[in-house]
Amino acid sequence: MYISLNWIKDFVDLDPKLDPQELGDLFTVRTAEIEGFEDLSKVYNDMVVGKVEKLEKHPNADKLQVCMVDLGDEKVQIVCGGVNLFEGMMVPVAKVGSWVKWHGEGDPVQLDSVKLRGVESFGMICAGEEIGLAPTGDHIVDMTEMDVKPGQPLAEIYGTDDVVIEVDNKSLTHRPDLWGHYGIAREFAAIYGKKLQEFNLDLGFPSKGDQIDIKIEDYELCPRYCGVIVKNIKVEESPKWLQDRLIAVGHRPISNIVDITNYVMAELGQPLHAFDRSFINGGIVVRRANKGEKITTLDGEERKLDDTMLVIADHKKPVALAGVMGGENSEIQEGTTEIIIESANFNAQNIRTTSTKLGLRTEAVQRFEKALDPVLAETAIKRTCELILQLCPDAEIAGPINDVNKGLPEELKVKFDTEAASSKIGVEISSNECKKILESLQFKVSGKGKVLDVTVPTWRATKDVDIEDDLVEEIVRMYGYENVPETMPELPITAPMPNVERTLKHKARQMLAHEHGMSEVYNYSFYGKDELRKCLMVEDNHVLLDNFLSSDQTHLRVSLVPNLLKNVADNLRYFDGFRLFEVGRTYIEEGKFFPIEDKIFGGMVVLPKKSKGEIFYEAKAIVEGFLQDFLGSDIEFELPDDPRPFVHSSRIASIKVGEEVVGYVGEIHPQVLKNWDIEAKVAGFEINFTKLAAMELDFVKYKPIPKFQGLDIDISVVLPRERKVAEIEKKIREADPKLIERVKLFDIYQGENIEDDKKALAFRVLLQAEDRTLTDEEMAKVQKKIFRNLENLGGVIRGK
Amino acid sequence: MIPQLEKLKRECLDAIAKATDTEQLQEVEVKFIGRKGELTNILRGVKDLNDNEKPVIGKLSNEIKNELEQAIAAKKQKIESKALNAQLEDPTFDVTAPGPDRQKGHIHPLSQVQKEVEDIFTSMGFMIKDGPEAESEYYNFEGLNIPAWHPARDMQDTFFIKNKEDKKHGRMVLRTHTSPVQVRTMEEFGAPLRMIVPGRTFRYEATDASHDTTFYQVEGLMIDKHISISHLKGVLKQFLSKLFGREVKVRIRPGYFPFVEPGLEVDFSCLICEGKGCRVCKKTGWVEFMGAGMVHENVLKAGGIDPKKWQGWAFGFGLTRLVMMRHGIDDIRHNLSGDLRFVNQF
Repeated sequence: MYISLNWIKDFVDLDPKLDPQELGDLFTVRTAEIEGFEDLSKVYNDMVVGKVEKLEKHPNADKLQVCMVDLGDEKVQIVCGGVNLFEGMMVPVAKVGSWVKWHGEGDPVQLDSVKLRGVESFGMICAGEEIGLAPTGDHIVDMTEMDVKPGQPLAEIYGTDDVVIEVDNKSLTHRPDLWGHYGIAREFAAIYGKKLQEFNLDLGFPSKGDQIDIKIEDYELCPRYCGVIVKNIKVEESPKWLQDRLIAVGHRPISNIVDITNYVMAELGQPLHAFDRSFINGGIVVRRANKGEKITTLDGEERKLDDTMLVIADHKKPVALAGVMGGENSEIQEGTTEIIIESANFNAQNIRTTSTKLGLRTEAVQRFEKALDPVLAETAIKRTCELILQLCPDAEIAGPINDVNKGLPEELKVKFDTEAASSKIGVEISSNECKKILESLQFKVSGKGKVLDVTVPTWRATKDVDIEDDLVEEIVRMYGYENVPETMPELPITAPMPNVERTLKHKARQMLAHEHGMSEVYNYSFYGKDELRKCLMVEDNHVLLDNFLSSDQTHLRVSLVPNLLKNVADNLRYFDGFRLFEVGRTYIEEGKFFPIEDKIFGGMVVLPKKSKGEIFYEAKAIVEGFLQDFLGSDIEFELPDDPRPFVHSSRIASIKVGEEVVGYVGEIHPQVLKNWDIEAKVAGFEINFTKLAAMELDFVKYKPIPKFQGLDIDISVVLPRERKVAEIEKKIREADPKLIERVKLFDIYQGENIEDDKKALAFRVLLQAEDRTLTDEEMAKVQKKIFRNLENLGGVIRGK
Repeated sequence: MIPQLEKLKRECLDAIAKATDTEQLQEVEVKFIGRKGELTNILRGVKDLNDNEKPVIGKLSNEIKNELEQAIAAKKQKIESKALNAQLEDPTFDVTAPGPDRQKGHIHPLSQVQKEVEDIFTSMGFMIKDGPEAESEYYNFEGLNIPAWHPARDMQDTFFIKNKEDKKHGRMVLRTHTSPVQVRTMEEFGAPLRMIVPGRTFRYEATDASHDTTFYQVEGLMIDKHISISHLKGVLKQFLSKLFGREVKVRIRPGYFPFVEPGLEVDFSCLICEGKGCRVCKKTGWVEFMGAGMVHENVLKAGGIDPKKWQGWAFGFGLTRLVMMRHGIDDIRHNLSGDLRFVNQF
């Protein structure tokens, strides 16, 4: 919202030398954020009246003309695209070095001399919006009929000495009282300790006369409606002072009556509406719309309404969408002579809902949805009448204001414990000081001692202030947040309850990144049907978004794999081999309200297609190394009962810690790779970290260092290829579980000299006894047993 | 005999002097004083000499042997140290050539900064909490004093979940902030309470360089008997100064969030321009950083805490934004791009 400093000065006597920057900074820390300010007296710097002396077609552009312009003391060439240029025309010229708004949008830019399609141009002939005047579109402001001469500074004609401040609307969300200049002035008065001018309206209203008939059908949605008839008005342009102020605060001047309603809204924060009385049939009825009822609003759009929406109607038709926008059918027109002014109070929630439903946000909605003070409706209608009488001397108020309401809200009182407030602020603020601050903001304060009785002014009482803590805010902001010292709480030192999962998560990240060379990526929590299809997954168990922004963000993920595969495909454009991992949640629908959200570690290992070796084992080695370090215990791999659709069905192993399956590792399904256009070897894993972190991790148990030398036996065996290493190792151990300390596969071979359906494996077996050095006989005995066990598996011992 | 010995000595010393490497020296040693060496032969013959000659020749021979042994040892050391020096002086060795490649992994900057934030708050006695990302409307809104019609819901463009609704929870949403964990933690632990919640949050809004559907926040909550705004300033100043490794100023101004009263906006002094005003801080010298405030009594009540007995503050800030500021990342979408060219820089 834009605020004119001159307007503020109508109500509070601010120091004229006050630096707007300082003023803005102070308002920011006391009340609401100031986003910036503009000194209007500087807007027309380096802008003068120019006379177009000669017009020529631009040699290289159809829509441009080359103008020779007389600027009084110099003549310059300017290239211009205005459609209404003619020789002899008086125009506003922005010289090189001045600041203009391109097409009236964005931040002002400084003009430089430029070549436009090869022709030099020194400055700009301006349209209205480019220099803060009423917009003229592709036309140039025509000043020919005005009493101006070339070289005359524009500041003399259009300039004002005002400063415009922009307040961040978001920071006014809870302050209905700050949506007009008077409310802002009230804050300034309190901030600077100045007196606020009372809003005096000694305007006489006739006690009898023509009154508009008003009927409110739903007081819940419209607690108050004031209407008055004004006759003999003449619709014309507003005077400059009023236009200036409207333009300064971002309103486009239209005609005096509409301008006045906008002016009063900008001044007091109360939206108003004026109807042409000749279009109002009978009287005003404030009622809910009938289902399917239609109204064409002032923006020319036909709106279909439902029965939750409130309309202002006459006895035949709706004439306005209450609190949102007027109707086209009762709009003020050039010939309008008699009007009805509406100044009403509407239910904030209802206005907001209607606005949202219709997708129609207006200045009125912005204010009503904050819950306006019902008292304001009366002040505003009086102020409107005052301005109409001022601008249209012949106008005549036809009769008394018809003020329909079911009683205004009672005074709101809040008990205020100044000691409790001090405790919350962290500074001792005396009862007296609290009283002073509250009174500066026009709260009424009575009572002595530490607890005060505070009466909330009506403009703060609608939604904003209703509990004691709301008053704490008033005290502390006016006391100054900058004056509150920084202190540390004096609390007993306690070690916070550890979040084991978090701690382990960070540790696991470090292990994967620094020991296993994996880089961490973050992915979205969703994917779409296309990703599911590519991964051969079904939609079951998915939680679906009701509203989504794109088709690849419709399903909450049940696996990290689809997005990780996307990462693989993307990164293959720049790298030919890499390892990446992600820590993220999956969301699995299990029929209860909340889906299961487990934290998953997922990873992908990628090698070029031509590289040697099985990618499965690359991934498995990482998982095994990682989990062994992490858990300090052994893990097992076995063929899973529940294969994953996107993993090769024979190249997948479930990861078991004790009896619990915590995840899987596997090579990505060749069809899935094809679907993702991935030409590389890819294996991946997913480990359920929630399960892992919940396991009780034992401290490593020390084993005595053996006192006696152990003995190694090397065994080479040829076995059918289906035989799994795990079962072979098991058979070896069974030979003598007590003496066999370790079994390690150190070579595996398939190929020449070995039958096609066979493989050769070489193990090193360590025999170890706690209490003696083993004898050759003992070793021979174990060896013999191992041989027998392997032969039972169909093995042929080599070099036996 | 004596001249023969002297000659032998000269010959040997000569040969030692001429030897240039350990092999040659070894040959000399073998030739003269080895087991079958010339001097050894003489020594071996001493026992056959007459009694007059025996002591003289014996003594002389032994002296010469010692002398030659020392000369060989000295020469050997000389040769070895020369070889060692030659080995140490190697202008051909290139220390600038790279070592062998090793697979190096990187931790995402969001994880790195999150850990730092967690560590700082843990050291101040805050526990670290988690909550569901698919959250109920109750915890995300109503429990936080944001009723359905409230204008604040404008600020919370929300993802809704399909077909998830019940009486107790309302609809299901993707949490729009980490604040729902406030009420959840109050329900779990009551007061007093010190905790932070770093976590993933979601907004239903179009993406661009500074907006993404998915981002990270950190929620903070401190509840005790006399916790004040002054403490909030103190704790935040400590936190930011630790995080940035230098003194950071904190500015507080009024703000509006339905779940706090008074509501606050917290800025910190721009680290780029030291508060003088630059592009990053939009010439204000301050960087908008977080929303905060004293926990609203309705929120305490929702969490089962008696607002007459306990009070405290809460804050929430964007972890993603913090990471971007710290590392000068100009587009938020890099964070969730999965692009190793991004991640591998950290």
